[in-house]
Amino acid sequence: MLPVFPVVLPLFAAALLAALTKLVSQRLSQGIAIAATLATLGIESYLLHASAEQPIVYWFGNWLPRHGIALGISFTVDPIGAGLGTFASVLTLAALVFSSKYFDAAGNHFHALLLAFLAAMCGFCLSGDMFNMFVFFELMSAAAFALCGYKTEDPGSLQGSLNFAVTNTIGAYFVLSGIGLLYARTGALNMAQMGRALGAGPLDSLVLIGFVFIVCGYLIKAAVVPFHFWLADAHAVAPTPICILFSGVMVEMGLFALARIYWDVFNHALHPHLAGLRTLFVTIGVVTAFIGAFMCYLQRNVKRLLAFSTISHIGLMTIGVGLFTPEGLAGAAVYTLGHGAVKAGLFLVAGILLHRFESVDEFDLYAKGRRQRWTAAVFFAGGIALCGLPFSGLAAGDDLVHAAAAATGFNWVRLISLFAGAVTSAAVLRAGGRIFFGWGPAGDQSSAPKHEEKPETERGHDHTPATMFVPAAALVAAGLLVGLTPNLKPAASTAAMQFENTNAYATRVLDAQPAPAPLPPRPAPTEIFSGLLTVLGAITIAAVHLFSDRARDISAAIAKPLQLLHQIHSGHVGDYVAFLTFGMACFGLLCAYCFR
Amino acid sequence: MTRRVRKIFFLLSAAALVWVFFLAYSPLAPFGYVQSKYGDMVNAITVPERHITDAVTAVNFDVRGFDTLGEEFILFTSVMGVLLLMRRQKDEPAGDHEDKAADRMIPPASDAVRVTSLLLIAPTVLFGLYIVTHGQVTPGGGFQGGVILSTAPLLLYLCADYRPFRRAVPQRLIEASEAFGAAAYILIGGACVALGGLFLQNSLPLGQSGSLTSGGMVPFINLGVGLEVSGGLSLALLVYLEELLEEKEQ
Repeated sequence: MLPVFPVVLPLFAAALLAALTKLVSQRLSQGIAIAATLATLGIESYLLHASAEQPIVYWFGNWLPRHGIALGISFTVDPIGAGLGTFASVLTLAALVFSSKYFDAAGNHFHALLLAFLAAMCGFCLSGDMFNMFVFFELMSAAAFALCGYKTEDPGSLQGSLNFAVTNTIGAYFVLSGIGLLYARTGALNMAQMGRALGAGPLDSLVLIGFVFIVCGYLIKAAVVPFHFWLADAHAVAPTPICILFSGVMVEMGLFALARIYWDVFNHALHPHLAGLRTLFVTIGVVTAFIGAFMCYLQRNVKRLLAFSTISHIGLMTIGVGLFTPEGLAGAAVYTLGHGAVKAGLFLVAGILLHRFESVDEFDLYAKGRRQRWTAAVFFAGGIALCGLPFSGLAAGDDLVHAAAAATGFNWVRLISLFAGAVTSAAVLRAGGRIFFGWGPAGDQSSAPKHEEKPETERGHDHTPATMFVPAAALVAAGLLVGLTPNLKPAASTAAMQFENTNAYATRVLDAQPAPAPLPPRPAPTEIFSGLLTVLGAITIAAVHLFSDRARDISAAIAKPLQLLHQIHSGHVGDYVAFLTFGMACFGLLCAYCFR
Repeated sequence: MTRRVRKIFFLLSAAALVWVFFLAYSPLAPFGYVQSKYGDMVNAITVPERHITDAVTAVNFDVRGFDTLGEEFILFTSVMGVLLLMRRQKDEPAGDHEDKAADRMIPPASDAVRVTSLLLIAPTVLFGLYIVTHGQVTPGGGFQGGVILSTAPLLLYLCADYRPFRRAVPQRLIEASEAFGAAAYILIGGACVALGGLFLQNSLPLGQSGSLTSGGMVPFINLGVGLEVSGGLSLALLVYLEELLEEKEQ
């Protein structure tokens, strides 16, 4: 019964809020939403704990498989999925607390939509059925599009939300096409059963392109290059509490889907081409990390800056998942926690700045934050944590990914994370230096054009309420401290091994046999040196940028050719769709001809 | 990108993608070849085990009923999203936007339209209810019937003017019943647990196959879905009409 709750409890609360929309006060509605989220959080963390030994399989309506053929829908709870669901509940809680000041004419729909969003994310993480995952993907999108366009008085908000909706709906279309192709081949929607059928059958272009369609559709949500364009637009316009969910966990859901689909469905069929797939996904990850980092450094709107930094970090997580080893997946999972918490905290600081000074523009805010000592402390702590400060959550993820990369012959991956971490973190430190200390000049040639940002709150701009500050500080602290959890890395590795044991998963789901106990994981060493080097690099870049005129000239000269990159991110949804089509076609042709 | 560059870039990529689609679909099994045992298995169990004569309904509301719960909430969430995005801003005075095209008029409805609409309302409601309640017997169910039911307010609008129509339609009640319809799915699923089964495990008496009361929980779910779908679509209609017409009238 328990696996059902993370989905139906928030949905029921959402329906309740919608039914009582004009009867209950905003405050009460927020209280109901928080209570539902807390309950979801409790159940998800119990599931995380309870599934550590064995995946929990729950057949809705008690439609058990007959002769190895799944009739109904199953939830298959494992620690990676339950962990992601737990994390989604934590961030939803933070968003709900932070949004106390966001009350206006929206009625209770804001809270109800947030709960539907949470339910969809939980369902997506727990489902063991390909089509059921798609249903929750759609539910997630329906809630996200509306929440993204919340600030309806701002015309930019409509455009950002529309770009998000168009690109992600195209993604959904491709996912559905892929599911259709595979259903035609396997006659199954249960992922374990599909995996068995594909492993027994031939690997032809139908299977390969089914893989491409489903994976690309989900990678649009994950915002990897060249599917990343919507992300910065959506983050720039979405209300800050929604940004933390987008950046912290929704985007990562796309990568979770890649892992789930590869390991449960395609592992047997695609195993002969594992080396090629590794190269493909590591390349995608590297390109994403670079483009995200460059674009991040060029921004002056703090929310856009953080959004591009998310793209860069997603690149690093794509490498982790795309190495297709237990350490790689474990690394990406831990990285998600570390990155998500820190990035959410940084977004909330941007929300606090918007609340206090009605702007998130680095130059408009120049030296305005001088008296915000505590906010500044949170911002700088987040900035440093973002580049993988040793022993932080991000660093723990990095350690695991680097160990996985070394084991598969991609030793140079650590250089990529050093570079991307240093540049994205330097951008945050640079913006923080300007805003909170008034360092450096008040204007700059190399940066992007200005975007106007409407304030999100109405009253009380002369102080920062605790409901805004506490979630921000708590999230950054959590991101730093989660890396100190003694058992984090081995537990994540064990969970990843369980996740990637395709045969055990299938027998557990279809034959109700217990899965074998996983082997003890290999320890991943803590890399203090490269972490410190990244921190040093970030501080150096930021300091040189702020204090050296000549360096600014040089960076302006470097930024000139990067203007082309800027122009590509035009905000025109037609451009985005063209790139998306291009990426999809390349991916499809590559897979169809290289992996035959 | 300029318009021209974008067009060329897109068309070239789309051509390549067409080739990808061709590669994907060419190894498909020939037409009429049945790969899957699923259909046969479902056909073999719906009547004996569930007393449901419409196999599609059996799959949608019983065997894979949890998918349909998610789909119902997609509609519910979308309608909430519409309500959120179309809300009137605090500083947005009603009737602020004048229609700039002075010659664009709403043509008054002719008497023929009014009378026909009035006559159609009752049969439409009846037909909608028929489709909602017969899902377990013949093709149909809450989604299809709900859509038919939601055309009743539209007919009402056609046979009266906007103001009387607005007065006649109880928006609060529709909002509440829509949410209740959505919640009902979860309540029924939970009731199955209370009766000692798993979530959405059909534990009610199954009734006589082919009758209105067959299928255990399925007719109840269909009623809830019908309420949700008709309410949701009516709400969306109301909100759009409000946006369009209140501006016109002032």
